[in-house]
This record gives sequence, structure tokens and C-alpha cells, in this order.
Amino acid sequence: MIADIVANLSLGLSIAASPEGFLFLLIGAFVGMIVGLFPGFGPAAGIAVLIPMTFGLEPTIAIIMLAGIYYGSMYGGTITSILINTPGESATVASTLDGYPLAQKGRAGPALVMQAIASFVGGTVGVILVTALAPSLADFASSFGPSEYFLIIAVGLLMLTTMMGENKFKGFISALIGFAIGTVGVDVMSGQQRFTFGSAELIGGVYFVAVAIGLFGIGELLHCVLNGQHRQPAKKLRVSFRSAAFWPSRQDYSECRYTFARGSAIGFIAGVLPGSGATLGSIIGYSIEKKIAKDPENFGKGEMRGLVAPEAANNAASAGAMVPLLSLGIPGSGATAVLLGAFLMWGLQPGPLLIVNDPGFVWGLIASMYLGNLILIALSIFAIPLFVKFLDIPYVHVVPVIVLLCVIGAFAINASIVETWILVVSGAIGFAMKKYGYSPAATVLALVLGSMAEETFLQTYIISDGTMNLFWERPVSLVLSIMLIVVIAAPLIGMLARRLSRGKTIAGDV
Amino acid sequence: MIKRSTLAAVSAAALVSMSTAPALAMDYPSERLTYTIAFGPGGGNDRMSRTLVDILKSYELYPNDIVVENREGGSGAVGFSYVKRQAGNPYSATSTSGNFIGTPLVANTDWTYKDFTPIGLLASDAMFLVVRSDSDFGTLDDVVKAANEGRLTIAGSGSAGPERVTASLFAKAAGIEYEYVPIGSGGELVTALTSASVDAVVANPSEVAGQIEAGTFTALAFSDSARSTNHPDIPTFRELGYDFDFSLPRGVVLPPDLDPAVQDWWVETLKKAIDTPEWQEYLVTNGMSGNPIWGDEFATYLEETSADYEAVLKDIGAIN
Repeated sequence: MIADIVANLSLGLSIAASPEGFLFLLIGAFVGMIVGLFPGFGPAAGIAVLIPMTFGLEPTIAIIMLAGIYYGSMYGGTITSILINTPGESATVASTLDGYPLAQKGRAGPALVMQAIASFVGGTVGVILVTALAPSLADFASSFGPSEYFLIIAVGLLMLTTMMGENKFKGFISALIGFAIGTVGVDVMSGQQRFTFGSAELIGGVYFVAVAIGLFGIGELLHCVLNGQHRQPAKKLRVSFRSAAFWPSRQDYSECRYTFARGSAIGFIAGVLPGSGATLGSIIGYSIEKKIAKDPENFGKGEMRGLVAPEAANNAASAGAMVPLLSLGIPGSGATAVLLGAFLMWGLQPGPLLIVNDPGFVWGLIASMYLGNLILIALSIFAIPLFVKFLDIPYVHVVPVIVLLCVIGAFAINASIVETWILVVSGAIGFAMKKYGYSPAATVLALVLGSMAEETFLQTYIISDGTMNLFWERPVSLVLSIMLIVVIAAPLIGMLARRLSRGKTIAGDV
Repeated sequence: MIKRSTLAAVSAAALVSMSTAPALAMDYPSERLTYTIAFGPGGGNDRMSRTLVDILKSYELYPNDIVVENREGGSGAVGFSYVKRQAGNPYSATSTSGNFIGTPLVANTDWTYKDFTPIGLLASDAMFLVVRSDSDFGTLDDVVKAANEGRLTIAGSGSAGPERVTASLFAKAAGIEYEYVPIGSGGELVTALTSASVDAVVANPSEVAGQIEAGTFTALAFSDSARSTNHPDIPTFRELGYDFDFSLPRGVVLPPDLDPAVQDWWVETLKKAIDTPEWQEYLVTNGMSGNPIWGDEFATYLEETSADYEAVLKDIGAIN
């Protein structure tokens, strides 16, 4: 087994580490970071735009480059989450919760370095697991049907409660707003249009990115302006490689030791499951980190572990998504679906036999991901001083730039003005949410997960003829159902136990 | 992008006035062609369009430059609307796919298939009915029997897409009842079957070809009027005694109000284009069937497909 892995990897490296392979990997990683930086212009769009430019390249080299864009965007995407509180993708929403407060505390440098390291660890651990476990995990991924998906999404939705901030009631309201927005579009069951008002652009539903950019980016901006931040002079951080404030402290590293490992493992498992792997991974990674922390009250106020966990998770998930893509021919996200389209374009037939028929292609791609992560962490560390400099610019000059970026991002989604209006409305709502303590993260994640939960629940409902016995008749579903019940019941039982034991001690005292 | 579309609109306006001049057909084509793709890069329509444009360029079938533009949005509504508004411009073309028929039926678009100059159907996108190879279904009759004896679940992408139309037409022809399970994307559709959640799926050949090749899935029937050129061993529904066929047009159309000579020029040119090894390779890798039809026959085909589609959508209550 080990010998096989070594042989496969050396075959892959011989392709990926060739001068041509390395050059295009570098281009892919660089473009990935850049597209990640622009909210709205995600990896799917980045890959799609570059596909026509790869004609004439060797298929393996072309895919190595396109895959570099895919996981490279995970590195770049977090930078805007940290610096301007604007996640460009659902997988980086969780990173805003502690990433942005860290930047506000003046720790943007350490936060960016730590997110790059977390991305690197997550990405690399993910690729190692892909290398070692891809064939056996393929069976696991293919055993997931609608009932299993619903249950795993339900776990994710429950985990949302840890991200809602101080006031749980306002958090729930925020999530409900997300569910409500998620109902726009064609009803999956009947094909009837819901709340589209005859607009062709709304048939596919309200696209998450426009809402996220509005709620977070514009909302935060308006709130800062309300607080008069634009009138304050910029705080010069004067960070460079040599200043200690640029690098994470020893305490950061030691606190996050295990967070790297936990985030990576959780993210990888979530990523293997087709669906919304990276998003679920980052939510679950964050929640578990907060649950097991001794000081959960620090989360959401700029806690390094709250940034490292979702970052390690979403990068491990993007590696994990290679398992169903390469071993089953199943795309797990919009970006991997575009990659799959590229496979077809080069005459490669995705499916269980891909790895048998084109081992050079599959292993070349996997090997390139090791190199790609190395390139990306190097690029990140070099680029971070530049990004931190951004904070030195007086806020009054920053505002128009952010607004411009947000509008371009929203318009770029479909080159239509409808998304731009959604952005404007979301911006106003986001401002109100920020001012009155509601949780935009809960809204955005409920929007993404809510419509998925609805679909998979109704599918299960139809398949089981309205009885829903699939949830306990299918073995994997049964395990997940029990997990779900435990997640719900554990805090209640804990509360009950505490009350009982307190009762006893009181009784003993008497 | 905005700048380019205004320019295009201005030149289009100029061309509308020109197109009335009878001299046009004589020296056609003398200008740059804009090939609009109504969907995003990397998708099925994009792959077909770019393959075709590459063939037109590399074999010098189109003597001038060709510009390819993706105008996506609203399931094709935006791009097809753009081409329709180029009425009279013989230097604009686009590719059709399922949404060319489906989108105007479910949404309020300013165009339908009738608003274009039909050139030809180059390939048809028909559906397989697929089961797991380790299931009890060896033939299509086994599936019908199972439906008569108990409950049959068939999954397909989307609630009102071509998969559902195919499944409904099959059920009608076989006189059976079944439960349709709409599943989001191609990937989840495959796992719905590998995980044994549903009995069968209706899917585009390219989505399941890998699984069929690996022996995990078996295709029982094909929904086109003739067998697929790539999977000649899989019978059609009609051959098996279920009297229907349904496929979606992968063809080329031009804006309305064109000189008939332009239409003839394109029919002759595309006949040459599909006779190339590159096009044949495209058909094989994308699991498509190549049974081309041309000109007015293509128009009749579009009309029939749209009528079938509309009838099923009314049947399931998706439209009134």
C-alpha cells in the first residue's frame, strides 16, 4: 500500500514538477489568490474565464492550473473577510466572526499570517488524506443519498446557533430572514415560481454572494461611517517583516496547536461529501472549536482559534472535494463542476475509471496540490505586508474603493443589474443588523443551507412516501440521526444533570 | 462589457437598415461574426459552441473573424433575448440547448423558439433511464412490473426539466404510476442512485457515462428516436414498445428576418462542419447522438419538442 502511494506520487510529481507544470501551477495559484480577493468573483468564475486560455495546453497541465485557481481562491478569499468584513464565498463567512475583530484590534498582520498557515496546514493535510484514502473514501461518498444529506445539513444548521452572537433570539430572527430569502426561485418539487415576480433573473433564486457582500461589506461600511470612523486619521501600523507585531505571537501558535489538526480533519470529512462541503466544514469546525474551548466567551471578539479552525477546515474541504471528483466523477460545488466541465472538454471521462485509464492525469493533479499549497503560503506571506498597508489608508478614502469593489462583485455574478439591487437592499438590511445586534452570518448561512435542507428534506419525504422512515431505516442515516439527537439532547441533559447535582448538594447541606 | 454591447447595438441598428438591401446575400459572409453563448463558460452549451467555432475557424469554413461572447443569466433568457434583438443581422449566431425550449415556457421572456432563423440540429441531447447494475431491474419491463406491483421512484435533475418530461412520457406510454424525485445537480443525482435511495434515474448520458463504463450503472433505454451513435447497444424506448421519444436540440439558430440565402449558406457550411473528426470526437466525449436535421425540418422539430414539453409541464402543474 505504502509502495503504491509512493509510486503514484512520484509519477504525479514527474508531471507536476516539470518546468511547464510548475509555471502554470504558479499562474493558477496566483490567479486563484487574486480572484479570491474580489468578493463575488469566486473560483467558479475565475476557472471559467481562464478555460478558453488553456486550449493548446497538455490536459494535465491545464487542469493543474485550473485546480490551482480553485484552492488558491480559498487563500485569497479570507483576506477580505479579515480586512473589510466581506466574505466572497459561503465558506469564508465563519472566518469573519473572529478575523475582522482581530483586524480591528490592530492584529491584522498576525491574523493574516495565521490564516495563511491554517490554509496551508488544512490544504496539505487534506491532500495527504486524499493520497492515502481516496479509493476507500469513494464508497463513503457514494453511500450518501438525500436523507443523509438532510441530516448532515441539519447538523450544520444546529451548529449555526454557536455563531449567532450574544443574543440568541436576534440570532434566530437573523437565520429566519435567511430562510425566507432562500424561498425565492423555482420550487424544487412543483416547478412553480415563488416570489420571482416574473423576473427571469430570479428563477434560479437569490444568489448568495450578492446578499453576503451587501450584508457584510456595505452594512459594515455604513456602520463605520455612522460611528464617524471616516473622520478619524488612519492609525499607522507601520508593519514590516521585521516588526514583531507583524508575526503571530508564541501564544497564538501554542493556543492553536490542536485547532489546526481538528479543523483540518473536520473540513476534510465535510469536503469528501458532495454538496456544500467547505461551508459545512467551516461552520462545524468553528462550532466545535468554540464548544470545547474553556473560554467560549472570547469567540467572536477576535479569538485566533476562531479564525484558524474555519480556515483549516475550508481548505481541507477543498482538498477533500477532490475525492468524489476524481474517484466518482461527482462535483461537490460550483467550482468543481466547472473543473469537471473542463475534464470533458479535454476528452477525459470523469467517473470511477478515470484513475485507472488516466493515472498520470489524476496523480499529476494530486501531486500538484502539494506544490500548490507551498506556492500559496509563500505568495501569501509575501503579499500580507501589502494587504496590511491597506489599513494605513485613511478610512475616508477606503470607503469608495470598497463600495466600488462590492458593486463590481455583485454585478459580475451574472452581468445583470438585478444582483446590484439585491446588493443595495442587503446593504441597508446589513447596516440595521449591525446596529441592532443581529447576526448577518446566521442570515447568509441559513440562506445557503436552508434551501439545501428544504430540497433534501422534500426528496426524502417523497422517496419514503411521506413516512420519513428513511431517517432510521438506512444505516448511515440512522447513525447521523442519533448524532443529531445527541447534539440536541446533550446540552439539555447537561443542564438537567447540573440542576440535579446542585439539588443534591443543597439537600446535603441541609 | 457595457461599452462593447452599446457598440454592438449601434452596429446592429446599422445592419438592420442594410439587411433590406438585396445585394447582401451575394457577398455573404463579408464581416466578422459574433457567436453568442447564452450560458457561462465551461457548461454544455459553451463546450458545443466553442467546438463548433474552432471547427469553423480551423477549416476556414467561415472566411472572416469570429468573436465568441458569453451572455449568461436567467437560464438563457438574457443571451437568447440579445440574439433575438439582432433581427436582420446575418452576422450573429447562437447555439440552442434544452433551455431554448424550456425557459420561455416557464418564464416571462421576450422570445420563444419561433423568433429565430433555424439552421440545423447538429446533435441531440436525449436521456438514459439508468438503474444500478446490482439491482433487480434487468430490463425496462422489470421496471414497469415493479411500478405495477408497488412503488417506483425515478429521480432526475430539476423539477420541470427535460428529465422529468422524459420520465413522464415514459410513464404515460407504459401506463404506470411513479414518484418523481427532483434532485438538484448532476452529482447528487448520481449519488441518489449509488446510495440506493431511488430505484432509477433519468439522466443525460454525459452525467452517467463514467458509471456505465465502470459497470456500476446500467442504462435500460434511450429517449431519442434513434439509438445513440456512442452507445449503439442501448435500445430506444420506442424499440422496446414504449411509444415516445424526447430529446433536446443542440443546434444553431440565427436572428430573425434574414435573407433565405443566408440560411442556405449556413446549412451548407454546417453540413461540412459536422463532417470533421473534431465534431465526431465532440459527440463521443459528450455522450451525444449525431442525427442531424436541417432548416425548416429543424423548425418542425423545435415545434414538436416544445409542444411535448409544454404538455408535461401542464400535466404536473408547473404552468397553467
